[in-house]
Amino acid sequence: MRLRVAAALVGLALYLVVVPFVFRESRYLLGVLTTASVLSLISLGVWLTFAIGRINIGQAAFALVGGYTTAILSVKLGVSFWLCLPASGLAAALVGAVIGWPILRLKGVYFAMITLTLSEAARLAALNGGTITQGATGILNIPLPGEVTFAGVVLVPAFRALNVHLAFYYLAAILLVLGLFTVTRIASCRLGWIFRSLRQDEALAASIGVNVAKYRVLAFALGCFFAGIAGAFFTVSQQSIYPSSFGVPDSVYFMLYCFLGGLSYVSGPVVGAFVLFLGFELLHGLREYQMLTYAAIMITVMLWLPNGLLSLRLPARPDMKADTA
Amino acid sequence: MNYALIALGITLIFAIMGVLNFAHGQMYVLGGFVTYYVYGVFGLNYFIAVAASAVTVACVGLVFERFLFRRVLRITTREESTMLLAAGTALLLDSLSLALFGEKQRGVAPVVAGVYEVFGAFVPASRALIFVLAGGLVSALLLFIQYTRPGRALRAIAQDKETAALQGVDIDRYSALGFALGAALAGLAGALLVTVFAVNAGAGTPISIKAFIMIMIGGAGVVSGAILGAFVLGFSEALGYFFIPGSTTYLMILVGLIVFLIFRPQGIMGKPWG
Amino acid sequence: MEVRDLTKRFGGLVAVDHVTFQANEGEVLSIIGPNGAGKSTLFKLITSFLPRTAGRVIFQGEDITGLSAHLVARKGVVRTFQETTIFKEMSALENVVIAHHLRGRATSVGLFLNTRVARQDEASFRDSADEILDYLGLSRVRHEKARRLPHGYLRALGIAIAMACDPKVLLLDEPFSGMNPEETDRMVETVRGIRDRGVTILLVEHDMRAVMRLSDRIIVLNFGRKIADGTPREIQNDEAVIEAYIGREDDELGI
Repeated sequence: MRLRVAAALVGLALYLVVVPFVFRESRYLLGVLTTASVLSLISLGVWLTFAIGRINIGQAAFALVGGYTTAILSVKLGVSFWLCLPASGLAAALVGAVIGWPILRLKGVYFAMITLTLSEAARLAALNGGTITQGATGILNIPLPGEVTFAGVVLVPAFRALNVHLAFYYLAAILLVLGLFTVTRIASCRLGWIFRSLRQDEALAASIGVNVAKYRVLAFALGCFFAGIAGAFFTVSQQSIYPSSFGVPDSVYFMLYCFLGGLSYVSGPVVGAFVLFLGFELLHGLREYQMLTYAAIMITVMLWLPNGLLSLRLPARPDMKADTA
Repeated sequence: MNYALIALGITLIFAIMGVLNFAHGQMYVLGGFVTYYVYGVFGLNYFIAVAASAVTVACVGLVFERFLFRRVLRITTREESTMLLAAGTALLLDSLSLALFGEKQRGVAPVVAGVYEVFGAFVPASRALIFVLAGGLVSALLLFIQYTRPGRALRAIAQDKETAALQGVDIDRYSALGFALGAALAGLAGALLVTVFAVNAGAGTPISIKAFIMIMIGGAGVVSGAILGAFVLGFSEALGYFFIPGSTTYLMILVGLIVFLIFRPQGIMGKPWG
Repeated sequence: MEVRDLTKRFGGLVAVDHVTFQANEGEVLSIIGPNGAGKSTLFKLITSFLPRTAGRVIFQGEDITGLSAHLVARKGVVRTFQETTIFKEMSALENVVIAHHLRGRATSVGLFLNTRVARQDEASFRDSADEILDYLGLSRVRHEKARRLPHGYLRALGIAIAMACDPKVLLLDEPFSGMNPEETDRMVETVRGIRDRGVTILLVEHDMRAVMRLSDRIIVLNFGRKIADGTPREIQNDEAVIEAYIGREDDELGI
């Protein structure tokens, strides 16, 4: 237990202090790590749906919802990014709750297919959104996050005035840490056990008084919340959003990150996202063969480590603490 | 009709192996490219090209089944694994196509020229040919499944794997056959349609999505459902594009599908899920 | 508890046909009948795991028909499952602890923040779980993953889970199936013990010996219809019942 906490602290120090300081001028590296962080966040959301026993290929749809919410709010209504961010999360969560309520009754392949449809439908909705979403041209020139002041004190300076890449790195890092903390907390408290009971046997859970429908939607909406926040982030970091910003392939990737990191582990999606995304970038030199090698490696990992990368290092640690008497 | 080919292929694989072939669209693309090279570039007879497409893609399917899916099915504890493996294979084929064939769109000139007039509408001869060929293939497949021994074996496995095994059906062999056959169908569809629509390396995903939509409509794992789904989609598309130009059509189709699935998740003809 | 005219139709097949009976507080009521008589379906209807076609279920004066399954459980009507159903990947202890769910007082947010109420819940659940496991003789295996437990223990665990819900009415679905005489005797004692704690028990079972020993009253179903209702002695001598069982046997033997 001590070792784990120590490792976590070291990791945190590296992530929040060492790396950004050392690489603060390396735009490329910071960018890659930032993206990986946000991808991890989205994947954490997908992990939550895996936790209740559903295969979710629709996360891209909710990222899109979040992204467009931020875009529309900040461009059309001039709302500050710092308000847009939670708003996007909430918007995505709301849509998730509404859509999730009826579709979570489905399981397995059927649920997967319907979420796949969602991803595609979202893209088309954005494409045909008329004046609201600007269709194929997307929404451009989205302003960078502004400053946050409280009682005259500048808490967060306007991004314009900073090393933008570093600023975004920190934002992503903080969001990821918060997200990871949240999911870990959920996993280890009784909510996590409730979710697990849903995954293992919904009928039995109902017979012991678990409001199955409510908790399913809760998990799903929470996952969508993460996607929404991530979508908002990407929108401002790219300062634009298009219907094709998040699509079916992305949804599949998020799933793959979770899977390859290890579905039984809370940090699985994070590990998966970082390793895979960084791996992809590392293969950059292979040019045309980059994608191919990437796919080949991915399949190899799936063959040899079907329980994910983390199953290598953490043999007996399931997604919750082991039972202590 | 061509849609039916695609739908049947993916249904077959799903029925036999319980796997949603994410790579189905990519197999279609592969078939298209093979035909492009054999017929368009090397100038061989069109039908040879089509056959070559089928064989190539079938081999790919065999390799996938034998080395990838069989292994994962054996050692995995979670049900999601095979689906994710399928997604992985899709990526693999996608990138393979890109690496091998480059980014350009490739098309093939129509095999026959001329136009027929059918019920007052003009139908290009090439499309008529595709329709006939596709129809022939679909019928052949249906006959095969219904009346031949391997076909019956496949049906047995689709209905109840364990019982089939107990009755002496070699599951491994027929799984391979099923997968190869399903893949071949995708390849054939590609080979046929490359004369009308060009293919490029990235076209796989949208086609896979269409395949999924078809089996969602008709019911996954049921042959009649596949055909029905194909027709429903074809009609909806035609009607939709006629009245509403652009991609709004698809949006409405998708929304309609989602609502439909909420009430009837197993599609029109599917078995009740559980 | 009272069941009135409960009916379930599956397409053309009537699985449960206007079944009416009453369960008195604190008694053990067994429901027997040849295979396919609709006994399990009846349980599913009572606990809302299947929607009913017609009829009502009234519990403690309240109409609980049509309430969703988890609410029925919260009212105090709990069932066990025919196939031994437990949470496979959790340990026995974890299974029983989580089963206390409906006794929880903390809200979801409270759980997340680990408030004092949440912690109190957790502590009391644990104590209660220990006690239940002890009562059912499962203490030794409490940390074992549920799917590794032998059949007899799994059965007991299933009952433990149901007991954690603090039920007023417990519906046991074939608790004696697959047990040898020794295990059966022990289970009979266990069930009696539960009844003595004040729980009304409804039992679906094929093991006649156990049923006769345990039950205060018996109801017999055949083809979805109630054909008899009375004490064990009355049932043993009931014409219709004998007919139902023997008639069936004739069919099976081809006589």
